Amino acid sequence: MKRRILTLALLLSITGVAYGNEATTLRNGTIGYVMTDLFWAVYQTPNAKEECPNGFNDGPREQFEKLFPPGSKLTVEDTQLRQEIETWHPTPDPDGFVFHEVEGRYSWGLNLDGRVDANDFTHPDGTPGIDNEVYRAVGCIIGFRGPDGVEYIFQNKAIADERYNRMMIELTGVDDLENDDEVTVNLYRGQDNLLKDASGNRVMPGGSQRVDTRWGRSLIRHTTGRIEDGVLTTEPIPEMIMPWMNLSVPSIQIFRDARFRLKLSPSNATGLLAGYADVDTYYKQLIRNDSTHHLSNGQISGISLYKALRRLADAYPDPETGDNTAISTALDVKMVQVFIVHPQEQGETEQNITH
Amino acid sequence: MRACVATLCLLAIPLAASAEEPSEAWVAEPTPPGFIVQPTELDGPVFADASGKTIYTWPLHKLRNGYSGETPGKPACYDEVVTVTAGLMSPYPPGIELPELDSRPSCTDLWPPVHADEHAEPVGKWTVIERRDGKLQWAYDEQPLYTSVLDRQPGDVFGGTTRRYGGDSPAFRVPLKPAPRVPPGFAVKTITLGRLLTTNTNESVYAFDGDTATQSNCIGECTLRFRPVLAPALARAFGEWTILERSPGVRQWVFRGKPLYTHALDQESWSQQGSDVPGWRNVFTQKAPPFPDSFTVQSTIAGTVLADANGMTIYTYICGDDSQDQLSCDHPTDTQVYRLAMCGGGDPDRCREHWPYVEASDSESSLSRTWQVLRIDPATGRLADAEQAGAIRVWAYRDRPVYTYGPDQRPGDVHGSGTGEWRAQRNGLKAFWLRDDFMGGTL
Repeated sequence: MKRRILTLALLLSITGVAYGNEATTLRNGTIGYVMTDLFWAVYQTPNAKEECPNGFNDGPREQFEKLFPPGSKLTVEDTQLRQEIETWHPTPDPDGFVFHEVEGRYSWGLNLDGRVDANDFTHPDGTPGIDNEVYRAVGCIIGFRGPDGVEYIFQNKAIADERYNRMMIELTGVDDLENDDEVTVNLYRGQDNLLKDASGNRVMPGGSQRVDTRWGRSLIRHTTGRIEDGVLTTEPIPEMIMPWMNLSVPSIQIFRDARFRLKLSPSNATGLLAGYADVDTYYKQLIRNDSTHHLSNGQISGISLYKALRRLADAYPDPETGDNTAISTALDVKMVQVFIVHPQEQGETEQNITH
Repeated sequence: MRACVATLCLLAIPLAASAEEPSEAWVAEPTPPGFIVQPTELDGPVFADASGKTIYTWPLHKLRNGYSGETPGKPACYDEVVTVTAGLMSPYPPGIELPELDSRPSCTDLWPPVHADEHAEPVGKWTVIERRDGKLQWAYDEQPLYTSVLDRQPGDVFGGTTRRYGGDSPAFRVPLKPAPRVPPGFAVKTITLGRLLTTNTNESVYAFDGDTATQSNCIGECTLRFRPVLAPALARAFGEWTILERSPGVRQWVFRGKPLYTHALDQESWSQQGSDVPGWRNVFTQKAPPFPDSFTVQSTIAGTVLADANGMTIYTYICGDDSQDQLSCDHPTDTQVYRLAMCGGGDPDRCREHWPYVEASDSESSLSRTWQVLRIDPATGRLADAEQAGAIRVWAYRDRPVYTYGPDQRPGDVHGSGTGEWRAQRNGLKAFWLRDDFMGGTL
């Protein structure tokens, strides 16, 4: 209790009363957070010298020029449609292009399998055994790198802009946001726009979100977690579905053994979502949400990336073929506090909505 | 030149109409002799030529690397076969040879100009312009006018649609419509369910079953959620529109005997969320024809979709090529090269595995112009004659076959939506959305 009071006092001194008041955001042992940022965690060094010593990968434009040099007679079937067929009907077979995987030692992420293997990364804080093969695949693709990669900007922006992506976590049974041996963690989708400041850009804590129990029922998950020194670590969720719409195409990501590690405050939660991404779903989300044009702007060859994802997949082998179907990953996640409104609190109307 | 498949040319399917379902009224305007207004099933009233064929314009459309379509007063559709791509859509460059050049139609093969004779006189927005070859062509608001060879009977609108389309879509031809007869402050939007009445700021309007033309029963707290659409002091009743004075000086628009409201909790344009409240309904100037009885409606992660008898989501295929004349490639009479590439990597058998046609049972037959049963040769994707071996009977929406997606495993799956070039806006497949709660009306 003493620590809780000190925390509250510190927060009030930093943020003022308006949004930093634990007493108002943690109510009856419950606090909610809504996602505002989500993107694949990419550990970057200056000029990528450490992780991409051989440079960045080519994208569709560069590959097209190499495959079909200007001046040769070209047909739609042999060029454009050939590349689109390779994109939409991908195979793990080599495409003839060199693919630069990340070669550095470090990566953001978590130790998902509890082991320290030779090909694992090391966390920048020195923690060994980090599993993040998605980073190995995308780390040397410009579009996935911050601060101006096309995927980094647009896919992340869509998390806040699109209500379809409005995932939330609700912690219940919370005695103390600094330390609690066991809390319940519920995942819901909200159905409302985010509360923003007067600029329209910054998402503010203190908003409210109605739980989407109609279209979002399949997204609801429950797990448990513990809070240590203000960091929430959840137990793995066997299969988490993350709705991820960009440019009006409703897609999903599937994460197996998904877990959150989040630094909590009364107004924010920041950290990682990690697990094993289903490879085919990962790829389809990327190419359905972005056309070859958008991928080109980030020098992302879907064709080459698919092969890398299949090559680097490290979990959930197919029982028939033995090929791994999932790939370890971590995503940077930011959330702000939100008051989550359940159907029973929404009155008659919500009951009707859930028929 | 496209061949007219005999079985289709002879079929005469009446326009779907019902005494209980009214059709959209329009604002009458003077037209030159030989032009009429023709009711249609999905697009409401459209202008048509003397034979009833729908008239289209080809508005200028900004694409990624330039423009296609027509600027006012300047026809761009001629009897010339375009042979190479225009490179209008990134990342593929211009100058690439287009498919099936030996049978590729010219623009006017598909879009015959609406010619005017030498004595034609302009009337209102209807004017006469001169084509490059000296022939005269009717124009509306300076946009040159055409018919579509896909339209076979009065009321067909198979050449284009009034549905909203995005910036990365092809430069579509758009049916020419008279203005809907609605008061200032209202608009009508074409969606899959029909012609949706909205405000001019794209808010859906709703009606309450418990209201009458002279009595609103949405009072007090109800009006916090459903806001009456107010009529200005100078507004007068006309046609299907009347005015209810809710309280002294507070006047509310009434359409077909029902006072109109907007829904305060609607989160998107053209929303249907207010219709979840019992007794409340979206308002349509006319409804789309019913879909086949064997079809179902399924809830998905993003809204409701039309589905087949097994609950599998139905998809439509959309295609426009990258030529300067932006010819369509999504009709069974068009080249099938694009569709076969997308659905099966060029292999018709893989196409049927990945994107099977929605086949009609022996007892099912065409319902309307909107929902017809076509005979298709699955080996080519083209229309088949009645006696052709191996042909299958498939459901078609707007004269184009519909599909399910092989990897969808359960009712409500929409894993195929957005498959194809430009998020399925140019060469790909979209789910058949009946309700979209998240996509801002981009159904």
